[in-house]
Amino acid sequence: MLDFQDMFSELFELDDAMDKYEWIIDYGTGTVGLEKQYHTDQTLVKGCTSPLWLAKEESGRIAAWGESSIVNGIASMICDWYNQASQRQQQDFSLNTLTDIGLAPLLSMGRQNGVANLIAKIKTL
Amino acid sequence: MRDYFPFFKRRQDITYLDSAATSQTLYTVADDMRDFMLSNKSNAHRSGNSMGTWVDQQYHLSKELIGKWLNINHPEKRIVYNSGTTQGLNDAIQLIMSAMSGGVVFIGIDSHHSLILPWTQSGNAKWRVVFIDLDKDGRLDLDDLQSKIKLEPMAVSKVIAVNAVSNVLGLVNDLDRIKKIALEVAAVSIIDASQIISKRKLEVSGFDFVAWSWHKVYGPMGLGCLLIDPVWLNFDPVRPGGGSVTRVSTDSVTWTDNATKFESGTQNLSAICALPKLVEWLIEHQNDIEEHDISLAKVINDQISLAQFTPTTRTDSGLLCLEPVIGSVEDYTMMLDAKNIMIRSGKLCAEPLINQISNGALLRLSWGCYTTKQEIELALDNLGDIHARLSRHVQRAV
Repeated sequence: MLDFQDMFSELFELDDAMDKYEWIIDYGTGTVGLEKQYHTDQTLVKGCTSPLWLAKEESGRIAAWGESSIVNGIASMICDWYNQASQRQQQDFSLNTLTDIGLAPLLSMGRQNGVANLIAKIKTL
Repeated sequence: MRDYFPFFKRRQDITYLDSAATSQTLYTVADDMRDFMLSNKSNAHRSGNSMGTWVDQQYHLSKELIGKWLNINHPEKRIVYNSGTTQGLNDAIQLIMSAMSGGVVFIGIDSHHSLILPWTQSGNAKWRVVFIDLDKDGRLDLDDLQSKIKLEPMAVSKVIAVNAVSNVLGLVNDLDRIKKIALEVAAVSIIDASQIISKRKLEVSGFDFVAWSWHKVYGPMGLGCLLIDPVWLNFDPVRPGGGSVTRVSTDSVTWTDNATKFESGTQNLSAICALPKLVEWLIEHQNDIEEHDISLAKVINDQISLAQFTPTTRTDSGLLCLEPVIGSVEDYTMMLDAKNIMIRSGKLCAEPLINQISNGALLRLSWGCYTTKQEIELALDNLGDIHARLSRHVQRAV
């Protein structure tokens, strides 16, 4: 059960912000996102500038899909990590975790609120 | 022109293309506000002391200079200070509502929310809102206005509320014709001048109300102007209080006979005292500012890659909104920010228009008199680069 930073160590080795964004977008593109049948008003994450959906699929997998490629990538990373994390790791996870490892600053304040809401919602699933 | 703005010396790392939201500050404004706070802070109106008298002088001088700038006679009867465009528009609309029991308001579909919402709040059901559509070029379709307004009986009170330049489209609406239509049907006219006032010479005569914010005109935050036709001095203020009266007794009140009637309470005097030098500078540089605006509009109209972005329209002034062919506006904004290029994206407080002309959000690049052609080109180059990066990762909808 890897820590968030260890699971995505490749990203944290990059220096250039644009390269980081591209890596995040690439990660989202390469991930199977939340199936379209789950894109409903109930699964919509509040506070995001562009639509982002988050839900637990029938298989038990938590997944997300967002219209913004960057937000989609970050949401996919969070879901993938969360699906393999221990209960303790899940409980301790917050926006501060992403701030501490330098990921949150890649997002504007408005988008950080959206990610905070995503984390709050994921804990209810 | 750029040298007049200390921001660009202090923040040489930043490419600032969000001037439609707020402009950077003229050096005299920063200096004068600091001087006021540190050396001259006193209250205006009937102070009886020399410091207060100096503030009074600056207050009256600022109105005289605005009068000179905008060619307004008797500025003391026409210029109302307030906190900004939103308060100015709300005050104008409240004043109309206090004077008329109801009617129809014709609002440009390209308007900012601040011109729409005061009419649609609960309790304002006596006013029916009719939107004015756009013509094929994106300007307000005044044939549409004229045909809609003719459908209304003469006895119905009418208001025409439009912006001079939309904060989404950057197109200059035909204010002369709007004025004529308003006169023909005896409609009250309200002009939101927020986007035009820092760019173009504005003919304000003949309108009932014209509102703008000074923070978009290289000036201070928290200060706006509402120009009123003197006929509105015949009505009671919507926000009465200190400064709006000459005499009060337990059973009567005598309002002032000038625009201070609508300026109750202490005004933002540190900002007002910074206006004289700012307005003198605007008068001196009016032609250069206008020429610069036109030249940047041409640069961006000529250079935008239509294969990568769909501009809402061509632009006349101040700004251009784009819809990416690939990717979300959020992606572009965040990635430009990583390059220290500041733009704005989203619904731009103009949702009725945004929903009509886009998929729900747009990118906006906007400039001021200090913006260089090179900055516009840098932003366009980076937008192209981001488009290319996103194209490599075309996201699949599951």
